[in-house]
Amino acid sequence: MNQIKVVHYLNQFFAQIGGEEKANIPPEIKEGPIGPGMAFQAALGDNAKMVATIYCGDSYFNENTEASIEAILMMIREQKPDLVICGPAFNAGRYGVACGTVASAVKEKLGIPAVTGMYTENPGVDLFKSSVYIVPTKDSAIGMRDAVAAMVPLALKLARGEALGPASEEGYMPMGIRKNFFEGKRGSRRAVDMLLKKLAGEPFETEFPMPDFDRVPPNAAVTDMRKAKVALVTSGGIVPKGNPDRIESSSASKYGKYDLEGVSDLTDVNYETAHGGYDPTYANDDADRVLPVDMLREFEKDGKIGSLSRYFYSTVGNGTAVASAKKFAQEISKDLVADGITAVILTST
Amino acid sequence: MIITNNPLVRSTYENAHVILFVEGNYREVLVKARDLVHGRHQLITHPLMGSLKPNETPYRSVVVSDAVLDKTDADSVLIIEEAILVFDRFIKTARTDRGEGSTEKMKEDFREIDLSLLSSALSE
Amino acid sequence: MKLELGYIPIRDIQFGPKSKVDNNTLYVNKKELSALLLEDEGIASVELDLARPGESVRITPVKDVIEPRVKVSGTGGIFPGWCAKVRTVGTGRTHVLKGAAVITTGKVVGFQEGIIDMSGEGAKYTPFSKLNSLVLIIQPKEGMLQHAYEKALRLAGLKTAEYLGKLAEHLEPEEVRTFETLSVTDGIKMYPELPRVGYVLMLQSQGLLHDTYVYGVDAKQTLPTLIGPTELMDGAIVSGNCVSACDKNTTYHHLNNPVVEDLFSEHGKTLNFVGLMITNENVYLADKERSSDRTAELCAYLGLDGVIISQEGFGNPDTDLIMNCKKIEAKGIKTVIITDEYAGQDGASQSLADADAAADAVVTGGNANMVIHLPAMDRVIGSIDQVDHIAGGWSGSLKEDGTITAELQVITGATNELGYNTLSAR
Repeated sequence: MNQIKVVHYLNQFFAQIGGEEKANIPPEIKEGPIGPGMAFQAALGDNAKMVATIYCGDSYFNENTEASIEAILMMIREQKPDLVICGPAFNAGRYGVACGTVASAVKEKLGIPAVTGMYTENPGVDLFKSSVYIVPTKDSAIGMRDAVAAMVPLALKLARGEALGPASEEGYMPMGIRKNFFEGKRGSRRAVDMLLKKLAGEPFETEFPMPDFDRVPPNAAVTDMRKAKVALVTSGGIVPKGNPDRIESSSASKYGKYDLEGVSDLTDVNYETAHGGYDPTYANDDADRVLPVDMLREFEKDGKIGSLSRYFYSTVGNGTAVASAKKFAQEISKDLVADGITAVILTST
Repeated sequence: MIITNNPLVRSTYENAHVILFVEGNYREVLVKARDLVHGRHQLITHPLMGSLKPNETPYRSVVVSDAVLDKTDADSVLIIEEAILVFDRFIKTARTDRGEGSTEKMKEDFREIDLSLLSSALSE
Repeated sequence: MKLELGYIPIRDIQFGPKSKVDNNTLYVNKKELSALLLEDEGIASVELDLARPGESVRITPVKDVIEPRVKVSGTGGIFPGWCAKVRTVGTGRTHVLKGAAVITTGKVVGFQEGIIDMSGEGAKYTPFSKLNSLVLIIQPKEGMLQHAYEKALRLAGLKTAEYLGKLAEHLEPEEVRTFETLSVTDGIKMYPELPRVGYVLMLQSQGLLHDTYVYGVDAKQTLPTLIGPTELMDGAIVSGNCVSACDKNTTYHHLNNPVVEDLFSEHGKTLNFVGLMITNENVYLADKERSSDRTAELCAYLGLDGVIISQEGFGNPDTDLIMNCKKIEAKGIKTVIITDEYAGQDGASQSLADADAAADAVVTGGNANMVIHLPAMDRVIGSIDQVDHIAGGWSGSLKEDGTITAELQVITGATNELGYNTLSAR
């Protein structure tokens, strides 16, 4: 039997090209394994050969996705591999999205199996877990060894075309696709056993994880808007021209707090959008379209609202991890409460 | 108030209850019920009553309160909105000989069952 | 309440000049039984047929499956409220023709009745492919309405099961199992250290073709109540539900409730099986609040530590299931719920019509939308052209060569929500 051929996809950092300053490089291919690829090759042993490594800058990939995929697929096609391994991306958002996109395209357009690895909170997970095999990893490269150990057996099975068992057995994130199979015991027996474990405080595995609700009970309505001190918060990426805080166009790792003192209208002179997930033309043209400062100033003048808060808060919602969004919200809320804000208008895109 | 597209329900109950007859399909009945629920009517019966799946029976009857409440009932909103979501999931596997495309004999059976399920609630 | 179940294994079924059980074979006198059933004036004709495990036989449209049993001693008779008076059952001794079944078939309506294949791919998904069955094909008098037809069929099935069950009355069972439920106080004295566990059995109760009967009483009208687990073994609960073949509980399922059996097998060892509560799945939303409130109160009143909740049906009952689960958990009682799923043919849709974070321990009977391919069978008992009209089937489901492509929904008992089968999903 022929040795399995593997191609590895990495970003600029793991390919040892450079850090953020090299995030703009287009896709390139090199022979053999690089960086973590060596660990994969060692774990794969004689079963497989990592024939090439393709790497691409995270920013380049996210801002030129179509072109990048086309180039990458062409490179992979030439190599004729039996399997593609992407990442693992740990908690790096743009890298995770790139890995997911490459894995998915390879599967769909080339019919080649692919596997990747990510931390559960990586935005790439929600986007790709139902179409791509994602192995859960730690949240940083500290978890590389474990990730490789978890990914390799699954990778070999995929390359060999072997049938896979349920996610919990094979070690990939449940895809949210339900598959029937026959257990050893009947359901009532499984229920009794599960209850005994639950009663004893022992760990058990539910056969059907309930969807994640994260329901937030709404606050009471604002009684009188005319007295309200209103703040604007947006995930639409509106920032002062030049994006001084360098908020990322996707998978934002931060938010900005900006002063509206003396500002009653946002124009293309002083404001723009940093968001990479929608056509920026109209937002760059007039940022009020996403952050309605002009209208609120009018309402302020007409007494329809008490006042507009001095500061607005902005981040980019595109591919931003839920955990990050929660963190930003917690910090922003502290500020809002301290400033006596009584109502917030949240805009998104 | 009974929201229904089932002529058998209408003829059976038109003298005893307010009937809002919908000249449309199952989903349109659910949507009408939803609109009324958002308009502060309370849901009285479960919109997915019966084990006939939404892509099988063309008939649906839902009972809401005649009077409006002081404010919208959150539970009613959740139930009716989720029912519409369930409907949309099921209708993706539409069948040509079921639902709207059923034979007349089957439609008669579906009308009967819908009526029976409804009666069990109205006899309260 | 203590009940002894005596099993008489049945390994074959035949027609014969005299109805009897001989050498583990069940013989049925066609004429005698037909005459008995035709006493019901609503029935125009009765046809009887036989189906055995491994045969190339397809039975459809299945309405109910019932196990022949007879009360040998103890109060009351099998199927109280129908074949017997309504004295409380569940004590003494009952004999069971184990391995035999009565299957009722009849159009009633043009849909939602199941298929049982005795061999091939389909046989894997129904427990009834393993039984030696007497199949009743019943035609109603002209113009009979649906609800009357359903009732006539139901009664015919119960009568037949009683008639056959009687044949076991004086036989020596090969195996006897004893099931005992102690009083609450005795239970506490005997098993002070064991976790107190109860079972909430949700019964389908929505209307025509969606009903269940308890001692002959329509379950729609019951308030949640306690019932002895052994009462089920004598047929206190009978099915009038024939919609959604895969997840409706046949009378056979009620007689052989697997949660009851498995809780009994752990009773006194790892848990104290305190009792069983039945509740319903009504259409009226206020009823759901009432029933779930009361069920939770009953569980708390019994001082339960844990509860298994099983359901029947889809959609509307999912709301009851989640309500029961939430309210019981809110009393500090741990729950495990048993359900099935409608996750779409690709398995990617949201499986349940309702959900809640409190339902963190779920056992599933599988995805009922899964597409299956059934081979052609040499013989069909019942009427095959129903298949296209059966839920889960579609125009063209039944191919000219007799093979069927349909959803798992069509198979009787396939995704049973009492946990009867080993089928699951992830």
